[in-house]
Amino acid sequence: MKRRRIEVAAFILAISAVLSGGYSEIAAQPIKLGGSLPATGIHTETSKWIKQGYDFWVEDVNKRGGLLGRPVRMTLYPDQGTTEEAVAYYERAITVDKVDLVFGGYPATSNVALMPLVEKYGKVFIGMGAHMKSFEQGFTYSFASPPLMSDWIYLSLGGVLDDLIPRGDWPKSIALLTANNVMGLSAKPNILKAMEERGIKVVVDEMYNLPLSDATPLVSKAKGKGAEILCCLSFFDDAVMIMRAAKTLNYAPKLIFQQLASIVPAWMKELGEDGNYVINSSFWHDRLPFPGNSEINEGAKARLGMPAGPLFFGFSYSWMKTLELAVQGAGTLDNTKIRDYLRSNKFDLPYGKGITFDKRGLPDPFCYAVQTTGGRVELVWPKSVATTRFVYPRPAWSK
Amino acid sequence: MSLSYIIESIISGLLLGGIYALLSVGFGLTWGTMKVLNISHAVFAVLGAFLAYWFFVKAGIDPILSLPFLVVLLFLAGAVVYRLVIRSVTKAKDVIMASMVATFGVAIVIENVMSFFWRPDPRILKPPYTASSIFVGEMAISKGPLIGFCMAILAIALLYWFLHHTYTGKGVQATWQNPMGAALVGINPEHVSLITFGLSIASAGAAGVAMALIYAFYPSLQSVWTMFVFMVTIVGGVGSVIGTALAGLLIGFIIGVCAAFLPFVWVNVLLFALLLIILLFRPQGLFGS
Amino acid sequence: MEYETTRNEQETMKGKGENHRVKKLILFLLVLMGLFAFPVIKPPLFFLTLFFSVFMYIGLTESWNLLGGYTGYISLGHIAFFSTGAYTTAVFMNRLGVSPFATAILGGLFASVLAAFVGYPVLRLKGAYFTISSMLLSVVMQLIFMNWEFVGSSTGLWYKLLPVRIEVNRVIFYEVMLSLATVITLLVRWVERSKFGAGLIAIREDEDVAKTMGINTPWLKMRAFILGAFLAGVVGGVYGYYMSYVHPEVTFNINTSLLIMLMAFFGGCRTWTGPLLGAAVLSLANQLIVTFIGAEISRILYGLLLVIVIIFMPDGVIQYVRGMFTRQRIGAQL
Repeated sequence: MKRRRIEVAAFILAISAVLSGGYSEIAAQPIKLGGSLPATGIHTETSKWIKQGYDFWVEDVNKRGGLLGRPVRMTLYPDQGTTEEAVAYYERAITVDKVDLVFGGYPATSNVALMPLVEKYGKVFIGMGAHMKSFEQGFTYSFASPPLMSDWIYLSLGGVLDDLIPRGDWPKSIALLTANNVMGLSAKPNILKAMEERGIKVVVDEMYNLPLSDATPLVSKAKGKGAEILCCLSFFDDAVMIMRAAKTLNYAPKLIFQQLASIVPAWMKELGEDGNYVINSSFWHDRLPFPGNSEINEGAKARLGMPAGPLFFGFSYSWMKTLELAVQGAGTLDNTKIRDYLRSNKFDLPYGKGITFDKRGLPDPFCYAVQTTGGRVELVWPKSVATTRFVYPRPAWSK
Repeated sequence: MSLSYIIESIISGLLLGGIYALLSVGFGLTWGTMKVLNISHAVFAVLGAFLAYWFFVKAGIDPILSLPFLVVLLFLAGAVVYRLVIRSVTKAKDVIMASMVATFGVAIVIENVMSFFWRPDPRILKPPYTASSIFVGEMAISKGPLIGFCMAILAIALLYWFLHHTYTGKGVQATWQNPMGAALVGINPEHVSLITFGLSIASAGAAGVAMALIYAFYPSLQSVWTMFVFMVTIVGGVGSVIGTALAGLLIGFIIGVCAAFLPFVWVNVLLFALLLIILLFRPQGLFGS
Repeated sequence: MEYETTRNEQETMKGKGENHRVKKLILFLLVLMGLFAFPVIKPPLFFLTLFFSVFMYIGLTESWNLLGGYTGYISLGHIAFFSTGAYTTAVFMNRLGVSPFATAILGGLFASVLAAFVGYPVLRLKGAYFTISSMLLSVVMQLIFMNWEFVGSSTGLWYKLLPVRIEVNRVIFYEVMLSLATVITLLVRWVERSKFGAGLIAIREDEDVAKTMGINTPWLKMRAFILGAFLAGVVGGVYGYYMSYVHPEVTFNINTSLLIMLMAFFGGCRTWTGPLLGAAVLSLANQLIVTFIGAEISRILYGLLLVIVIIFMPDGVIQYVRGMFTRQRIGAQL
């Protein structure tokens, strides 16, 4: 009899263990988040920080109890930066891994094909988009928060000229070197218009295919025409090559403007002292007085051992933060409901307060100008958020 | 546009052209002597560039110093590819087509192996002398291309000397001109083929190192270089070292002129269109017979 | 008595032959019906996208083989026609809002016009020179498209999406591409058995001899080139719509050209069954490897396969395998 009771007791114990274990399993069933990101290729230097931002957000949100009370598990496939791979991986994540949510996609050259894909599968896509043309196709599931909108970067160059340099000291000519892809093509027309409006002559207007093998002919042209602004609508490696070629040819324009290269930590590593005093456009900065930035900076200190969040780290964190707020706000994983929630509410994000998304999925146009100073990326425009003195004209190359 | 800028551009083009010449000489050699259309020729140039890069980055050895060693290494690589692939292919009914397709496969394999292990990120070989130029008045001649050009000319000269002034080299020429006769006088055709192919690949590797002093490189660049190799070889005439050298300089000159006047992106379109026209109307080349 | 037996034997053999053919036809129809009916069982979407890709490569490889396998002119520019079709449907949808299902044929027509235009000079070249020129065609076209605003240059062009659920979307494209693959394969088979096909094969065997026999070789080559281009263009037109996006770096991908050639050689480029088998097996393998292992590994594998096929199995894998069995049988008889 005693033996029997022990057996029964053991049986009941076992069952309750299984049940309680099983129950907590069901409650803690993770939310699957999937997508792909370049791990190699021409986007390596920027996308490695995007990934850090993603990792940090996932860790952070899980520490705070997850999304809708469930932990988030991410499946991020490494691609080579090509469109076909991105499409193949996203399709796999959606149809094979059956993810609940997708990452917002980076870079723009992959997003051009991903935006119609997520539209077909009905998945909310919060990232950088693929510049203005992609947002004019009538896609409803894509949002950019913040957008890395090449069509808007003319605002920062124009702003720097208008507010920070006395009219009499303005550079008189500009050499425009543009990478032949959707990013460069989107930026160029507005910059050309902005220069025309200010009476700055466009003396060189050259496009080049990526990857760029040799920057010398391009820079040679700019130097030959004596262009006083060197404007590079480039990615990272090509921008570095252009800078090197400029130094080799001893071409020292008054102002160097980059689209994204100088806000990447590897910039100073590659160029050393010569990476300083370059103006770049940006859609976020770690010293902006908006909610979420202290978290980002703390995360950068803890995870990366850096004093502040690198810019691409902050971008991707903002994208995920927006998704987080939308999912929590909508209270569901139904992507259509999440989408509708995004369209009908205001959000306080690291790059701005009270952000709303229009029919296209975009907030109101904005852009910041930053300058590399003492090896750090500092805000210079708008003046109200500037963190350093604006340096102009650019000092000579180091010896 | 200032004259000095145009001349600067032309000089730049000529320096590049010399290196293209070295890149193409080996290709023409195997095509002419063995009827092997080695599409994988340029991928070995990229391999040479990568090896020079690793020697420099990991061991601090300047490419000028590592060049002789790399040449030997690539000669051996060429010998291996010859044994594994080329030898079988030379027994086919249509050697040119079979070699073309087979070496296409080899090129894809090597390109993607490099991509897999070394990643497709662009690399720059930057020994200190590549950061400065020699100034002639207002014109700047970058030191990197200048040194690459010197390497190329030296290598082409060595190759020419080998072919015309050494016993083995003359054997290669004899086999090319009259395979039956050469075999009759005791020249081992397989021996000759192995050496020819090995030399061809070695010269490609050397050209790759020279290219790396000018260009950023990455595995898939090999398909672009392949187009240029075709262009120079066909213009110069298959198998002629001097013809190829002249063709390289000519193409470099054209690149220099175009870069000065045309939008950058159209230079390549023009070149490839030119190649198409030459193929259609004068496939034996400008200097060939 | 003997005469009758022989007649009987003859009739039996003929009967068996016809029986055999009917059996093959029934099998073929059953497989085809099965494929068309496949979506009814609501398979995972992954399979529909996988098979779409397989059908597409079947269409591309069969159409390539008209000039490549039958005539012996290896073209590495087939994707130029594929892209022409894709871009035709893209531009028509973008500028005029016309559905690609209507304009895909137009895409094929534009591709054939391009083929006629380019084929005239290029088909006069032989062997390697032809192949290089075909590759150049594709490269130059890609460079031009990257800089031509009308076709979206390096931004690309988007299509309006079909206003249906994704499941319906995928089924529609599955059925359309299956139909295309079937039509193209049957068409190529018909060509192979026609006088046209015989002429092409004669050219491959020995072009000079064919000419002396009075065969109008330039015209035959042109026909093969143009027909192949037309079919590739139609396939491309549908593909663009499937992706909802076209871009020069996506449609003019040299790796696709390489794959097509490999598929034809692997399966055996002498008959219509070769490309079918090669495309089915290799595109399936390629898609799976790319999705689950990686793009580079896939390319390394098919680069190696290309080398192996050329050196060891120049007539394709079917012939090679058959050869293995024949040899065994011969050995057994001894």
